[in-house]
Amino acid sequence: MSDFVQGGQITEAKQALDRLRTNMRVTIKGKDNVIEQVITCLVAGGHLLIEDLPGVGKTTLAYSLARSMDCAFSRIQFTSDLLPSDVTGVAIYDETIKEFIFKKGPVFANVVLADEINRATPKTQSALLEVMDRARVTVDGEAHAVGSPFMVFATQNPVDYEGTFPLPESQMDRFLMRLQMGYPLAADELEILRVSRLAYDAIALNPVITRGEVLKLQALAQQVFIEDSVLDFILKIVAATRTEAEFKSGASVRGGLALKVAAQARALVNARDFVVPEDVTELVGPILAHRLGLARQTSDALEERRTVTATLRRIVASLPPPV
Amino acid sequence: MSMEKKRPQLSLDELHQLKWLLGSVLALFSVWTVFYLDVDAWTLLILNTVAISAALIWPGWLARVPAAVHIGAFPVIVICFVTDLWTNGQILPAMIRLDLMLILYRGISYRQRRDDLQLIVLGLFLVVVAGVITVSLAFAVQILAFTACALAFLFVVTLVDATEAKYPPVHTPLFTWRISVATPSWIRQADWPRLFARLRTVVDWRIVTFASVLFAGVVVLSGLLFLAIPRFQLENSLFLDRFMSKKARTGFTDNIKFGDVTDIIADNGLAVSVDVSDPGQMPATLYLRMVVLDEYREDSFRLSPALRRASFGQEPNAIEVDGTERPHAGAPVYWTVYLESGVSSYLPLPGSFERLHFRELQSILNSRNLRAISLRNEPVTMTAYRLEGVNTSPLLSDPGFAENLRNPPRDRNGAPLRYTRRELVVPAQESDQAALRAAVAEITGGATLSAEDFAGRACRWLDTRHDYSLQSATPAGPGDTLTRWLTSKAPGHCELFAGAFVMLARTAGFPTRLVTGFKGGTWNAFSNNLTVRNSNAHAWCEMWNGEGAWLRVDPTPGSAPVTSANEPQGTAAFAARLDRSWSARLDSLRIFWYRRIVNFDQGNQLDTLRAVKSATQQAGQRMRVSLDRLVLAVKTWLVSGWDARRIALVMTGLLAITGLGWAGQLLLRGWRWRIRRNDNNRRADPARREAGRWLERLREKKGEGEPGTDAVWPDLERVRYGARPTWPELEKVFRRARQAWRGRGKSPRLPS
Repeated sequence: MSDFVQGGQITEAKQALDRLRTNMRVTIKGKDNVIEQVITCLVAGGHLLIEDLPGVGKTTLAYSLARSMDCAFSRIQFTSDLLPSDVTGVAIYDETIKEFIFKKGPVFANVVLADEINRATPKTQSALLEVMDRARVTVDGEAHAVGSPFMVFATQNPVDYEGTFPLPESQMDRFLMRLQMGYPLAADELEILRVSRLAYDAIALNPVITRGEVLKLQALAQQVFIEDSVLDFILKIVAATRTEAEFKSGASVRGGLALKVAAQARALVNARDFVVPEDVTELVGPILAHRLGLARQTSDALEERRTVTATLRRIVASLPPPV
Repeated sequence: MSMEKKRPQLSLDELHQLKWLLGSVLALFSVWTVFYLDVDAWTLLILNTVAISAALIWPGWLARVPAAVHIGAFPVIVICFVTDLWTNGQILPAMIRLDLMLILYRGISYRQRRDDLQLIVLGLFLVVVAGVITVSLAFAVQILAFTACALAFLFVVTLVDATEAKYPPVHTPLFTWRISVATPSWIRQADWPRLFARLRTVVDWRIVTFASVLFAGVVVLSGLLFLAIPRFQLENSLFLDRFMSKKARTGFTDNIKFGDVTDIIADNGLAVSVDVSDPGQMPATLYLRMVVLDEYREDSFRLSPALRRASFGQEPNAIEVDGTERPHAGAPVYWTVYLESGVSSYLPLPGSFERLHFRELQSILNSRNLRAISLRNEPVTMTAYRLEGVNTSPLLSDPGFAENLRNPPRDRNGAPLRYTRRELVVPAQESDQAALRAAVAEITGGATLSAEDFAGRACRWLDTRHDYSLQSATPAGPGDTLTRWLTSKAPGHCELFAGAFVMLARTAGFPTRLVTGFKGGTWNAFSNNLTVRNSNAHAWCEMWNGEGAWLRVDPTPGSAPVTSANEPQGTAAFAARLDRSWSARLDSLRIFWYRRIVNFDQGNQLDTLRAVKSATQQAGQRMRVSLDRLVLAVKTWLVSGWDARRIALVMTGLLAITGLGWAGQLLLRGWRWRIRRNDNNRRADPARREAGRWLERLREKKGEGEPGTDAVWPDLERVRYGARPTWPELEKVFRRARQAWRGRGKSPRLPS
């Protein structure tokens, strides 16, 4: 097989992605850019952290994606008394066969919605994060593969920090992207008011893309071509975050890799078999912002996010894209 | 839509870096004016140069300067200024030093927009002050460089402003009270080679050329206007010089202590330039007289107040001074003397003259007896004057002195006044006088000698006893210093030799006085004029010869004691002293400036304009003649008989020209690619470069609903960023891009 993506594959991918996009737009109104980024994250094979106020559609978004794909979806509501085994599953002794059998936890699905992830104890959080990293659960020395494709949608509320366990930076790094939903425009909100109901089960979506197609898309994204100057551009951005005085420390190597993988995915989502600098610049915020902390202390989390984003924007503006 | 918009642009950080570069260069340009100012600010100048250069090259280290420095800087500068003003009491030098301190501070701290403008104003102050005070060639060059730099600087400041308005930076306070200065983000990316490489790609050379031509045009136009307008005295029209009560670096005043002239010798700066219309008239050893000192008192010679009163009549505000010489037949020979500022208020004169002409009104004190002219105030700028009918003879007739010797003037009570006898005063102590008498007896051997014979013998006597040295050690002891030196065998310098001779001659009964000025100089091979430096300062004597004239006697070893009137003259005599050094070249530029710009009368002005006109006309004529000749040659060649050999020759020639053109084009292309490759090695692929440039060019058209642009865009992107095997046909893509570009009806700028 050639190293390069064939024209026909791109056409197929475009059709599949168009179907997915159209389907998700039925329930998620006026958030096309968020849908694009979610799809990009899916194609890149990464996990997603959605940070926003309650009730702006985080869960609906995850639900719509899961429903649009022909795959398993589960939802875990994180609370402070949630145990790791509540997430991963537990081995129970079966009297009838005199053996321990493994009862799979909710993490055994293709799309897992981890709601309010920062409400759980670090122990439970790290159980999930291990699964995210390895895509498998190990209980009693036995490895159990979770779904494939496997994507975690974690949500958290950036304002209400009371009684929460904020994710440490090392674990933030596991998420490919962090997104904000934001309020919809007035017209879109009116549309939502008119059509939608409260219950998720009422969301009637038919699967438009198979699990196999998703896996194929993910494999295809890895073959998307990146020209040297674009790689160099990514490197410069990452290096600039490391020398920026505003940041406590710069983006990790994983951050740079994530930017590359996501740019490839975005190229594919835009029906291209090569990465252009816009792919990189558009993704710098969602990919890098949650991996960076400010050097000076801020009391307000929202302000910190704003400053980080603005600094990243300034860095990108200061670096000439390869021409 | 202009073409420039489509070029890649410098990022904000790069603009900041460029701004930093220009600001530092501007600061350096302005601080270096101190070099010409003769203000005591060398330490500050060196400190400024080193610190600003370091800050320019490594802007990062400024971030390590503790914030306390920034907080304390302003009070410290103010305290320094006040202390300076208090101790020195001179406003302008103190202000210049203050300005230097402020520039230093601005040069080594991160500047915001307001600080940039401040830097320009601070620099402008120095340049203007230097210009007005020196009116020198350096000023012209300086102001040009400064202006160009300031314009570029302002341009970049504006660009930064405009860019910042587009991408508002995250606000960070420039410094906090806690640790140190916050580093601006551009410092982190500061990389000079990269900036220059970027500049090379980003700059539109047509604009730069246009701006340079415009600037050159303005400069030439101002130059022509300057040549054409009537002269006026810039330095006199401004008030600044009055603040510049510069201490004379020299001892050329009318009171000279031993050692003063030697101090001047240590200074190698230019003091006087002498320009003679007929160099043949110049003596081999030129003595420039300045001050005549008659009274010896307490180890020092001075111009006695009585002689000053009797000799110097006041001629307020003269532009012309009549001398003692009678008009000569023949073409007049003009001596133009350019006296640098800070030398003396006395004018160096090569001898008696017929007429002296200043280029502007001067308030002077003139003594026809002493042949000395003093300006009322020591000039702060270069002073130029022209002498006519100069007599460089070593003999100066002085009928007044002869008359006074015969009939000493009397006061109201009829008692003879003693002032003419001051030329005979020797140390008061009897022991000193005895020593002097013994020396004179040894010199004369008891015989009665003529003045010239005595001078010759006395000089030889001094020469045999004392060596010449700038470091003299007069033996300690009681009595008069000069007599002690004279009777010792210690080496000495010109002042001691001259002073000792005065004592000997006076003891022998010859009225004698000390004269200071300059002796010798070098002949500038480039501008053909005599250059006299401060190191040529000299002291010699004038001895009454008893025949109504003062005879010049130079007792310092190495000079002919008594110059004969028929010594060789002219440039031939200077051949041995030709100066072809670099400093001579610089001095020749200076003299050019003096001749053409500063000392300019209308005649010169017309001459220059005529010369420019005739040179242009001649060049035009020569071009026309050679063109005519060429056309004629081609015509003759064409009409002469054609045969196979000639045709072959022509064909070969044409082929060769085509081949050369082709090779040249290839070379040029290769050269361009090489340059771009230096910019970024990974972008060496010419097709990618080409596609990248088309993308840049079409970027603005994209999204405007241009079908051509939108259609070719993905293909261009594929060529620029896609994998090579997936490329479409390059020629076709670029042709379509060209068509899309032309679609707007704009003339395309085809990529090569």
